[in-house]
Amino acid sequence: MSAGDMAVEGGAQPRAAGRSLDQRVFAAYQTELLKLGSQLAVRLLVLVCAIGPFAFSALLKVQSGTPADALFGAYVHSSGFAVSLVVMGFAGQWGFPLIAGLVAGDQFASEDRHNTWKTILTRSCSLGELFTGKLLAAATVAVAMLVLAMASSLLAGLVLVGGHGVVDLSGSLQSAGRSLALTIVSWALCVLPLLAYVSLAALFSVASRNGIVGVVGPIVIALATTLIDLIGKGVWVHLLLIGSAFGGMYGLFTDHPFLGPLVITSLVSLVWIAGCLGAAWLILRRRDFLAGSSVRAPSWHAPLRVVAATTVIVAVLAVASNLGPVGITQQRLNAAVGAAFNNVSLLQQRLIGRLAPAGAKLDVQPFCNRRGAKSQGPGDWLCNVYVYLPQLNAVPFQRTNVEYDVSVRFDGCYKAQSPPTFIGGSTMTDNRGRSVVNPLFVVYGCFNTL
Amino acid sequence: MEAVTATGLVKRFETTTAVDELDLAVSPGQVHGLLGANGAGKTTLLRLLFGLIAPDAGSIRLLGRPLGGPGSAALDHVAGFVEEPSFYPYLTGATNLALLAKLDGEVPAGLIDEVLERVGLAERAGNRVGGYSTGMRQRLGIAAALLRTPRLLLLDEPTSGLDPAGARAVAALLRELADQGVAVLLSSHQIGELEKVCDAYTVIREGRVVWDGTAAELAAQAPASAYALHTSDDDRALTIIAGLPGVRAGRSPRGQLAMAVQEGSLDALVLALGDARVAVRRLELLVSPLESMFFALSGDEKVDELEPYDLAERVFAAAAADT
Repeated sequence: MSAGDMAVEGGAQPRAAGRSLDQRVFAAYQTELLKLGSQLAVRLLVLVCAIGPFAFSALLKVQSGTPADALFGAYVHSSGFAVSLVVMGFAGQWGFPLIAGLVAGDQFASEDRHNTWKTILTRSCSLGELFTGKLLAAATVAVAMLVLAMASSLLAGLVLVGGHGVVDLSGSLQSAGRSLALTIVSWALCVLPLLAYVSLAALFSVASRNGIVGVVGPIVIALATTLIDLIGKGVWVHLLLIGSAFGGMYGLFTDHPFLGPLVITSLVSLVWIAGCLGAAWLILRRRDFLAGSSVRAPSWHAPLRVVAATTVIVAVLAVASNLGPVGITQQRLNAAVGAAFNNVSLLQQRLIGRLAPAGAKLDVQPFCNRRGAKSQGPGDWLCNVYVYLPQLNAVPFQRTNVEYDVSVRFDGCYKAQSPPTFIGGSTMTDNRGRSVVNPLFVVYGCFNTL
Repeated sequence: MEAVTATGLVKRFETTTAVDELDLAVSPGQVHGLLGANGAGKTTLLRLLFGLIAPDAGSIRLLGRPLGGPGSAALDHVAGFVEEPSFYPYLTGATNLALLAKLDGEVPAGLIDEVLERVGLAERAGNRVGGYSTGMRQRLGIAAALLRTPRLLLLDEPTSGLDPAGARAVAALLRELADQGVAVLLSSHQIGELEKVCDAYTVIREGRVVWDGTAAELAAQAPASAYALHTSDDDRALTIIAGLPGVRAGRSPRGQLAMAVQEGSLDALVLALGDARVAVRRLELLVSPLESMFFALSGDEKVDELEPYDLAERVFAAAAADT
């Protein structure tokens, strides 16, 4: 070994002294990007985002079944946009929490695991700059994965299924251009809740100092959110959950778009981001970086505290899930199902070649009742849709009854499905002899719960 | 301007005072050894100097600049490591250095290769650090420190895990850096390695400085060194030694001759044995002056409060026990 000219002359200008805050944060950001890019789990996730939608579309292509329980799921064989929207719906429930956990959940904890805090803190970046750089890198990778999944799912849908417009959540067929715009906007609106999950993962990572808690934490919260969404009728707690924001954009897919839930859930996402990052920073800056010291608490203390705190918060939210006004009411569901039924009936008429003038309306009266419970709140409902058809010699009208099993979510979106004996099978033949989706078989809709 | 000026440092952890009213000064161009038993407070002191933890009292200036609080960026040209150097095991040695260099700002082209070459890791630079031995990680830690073009190096046991040749090479490198004006503060348990390279020492016990001074002052103040002696006639040698000033000898539990020899008395001893036709077959240094000082300071008293005779006795006892 030889020192050579390693040492600087006395009085030389400090090398990093001229760097601005931005440059130091950017250096930390680049470093974290490189580290994330080197991790196998992140690489695999990129691969899944790139190839997964193609595999999903290809799988659908070779089989006749559809993921009809998911919004737009019945249309995955007829519209490439529906493929992308179904992928988005799944991603919102599980995919984005997983992405957030993998990119941010181990970012801080891995420094504890590898004992590298002291390595990076003895360089020319402060803790705050490292914190910011790490978060920006995690956010960048997470958003990049979202964009990749969007592009991949759109491309897969358009290539393997086609660019036909999607039937929206009021039962109206949208043009391809509008479908594309709505799909892209919907994916874009997922960015805020995705970043909220990233912030939550970072908080788990900082607070627990444990990569497993950091990675699994957001997924557990997503699961808890799903469970809480199944119980409780009040709107307040549901709107406060991170996962609720992934449903806010569905209001755009209706004849009379409503933005209330979207605005509120987006604001809630911002609050989650600020709260999680603020808490993570407070915890981090209070730390003494004393790896290996006798004063360090046993390694299971921090994860246990985080798990306990999370359990308590989830339990409180579950108990409080009935707070606030009831969003899912009989009156709202009746109105939504009636309007959607009207639209899909007219769509069906057009598909079989009958002229249905724009704005035409059927005389429809839906009567929805909750199965085995008071008629309010999310869950299983039964809707009888009475259609009064003006027919020759009928006095005054002929009444036809269509029965729908309706599964209503906490956010006001629902799937209504009727037995084939009422409205025919899932597919039908259009006036050009092609097999198309029977729009009356499964009806998707959304209504404003506020 | 001193490279390190620490004044009145205090650091407490709950009921333990790890560093207690500690003063330290390290000059540019000096290799300064930090000595102390396990738990003496050496690593805590290094953490304080790196700004990884905040002192409860006292002040620190490095290269004339005050140290920021915990979480601040390290001061420019201050480099080193505390405890064992840690890196990302899933990245290669070269990539680890590239990441650290990026955190510091851009480094001159070729510097990473150069420092890897200097610490003897060039051939393994493309391997993942997870597969490195302790010694290789230690050398990578030194390479990472050199990337910051240091004017002050703070190193915690830099030769730990290195083979003798590696330890010698590190010592030579540190000496060379010091000769170029770099201040080096070196904590080590390997006293022999310190003696080869240090210009000054600070000995701490229970968080307090119990002795500090230059290598010359140490030589003057150190208690007697301890030797193992093998002769052609040990009984006669003992009788001769008993009459010599500045030397005390006895048999170790295993029957071996051990001596506490004060500075300047060794020549007279060997000559006396030769005159008496007792052949000296082997004379083995058991405890060097620095080690004897270290052993002496392991007791309860400060070294300047001890009589030379007591120091020699302690050294003798420690050496005999060690033998």
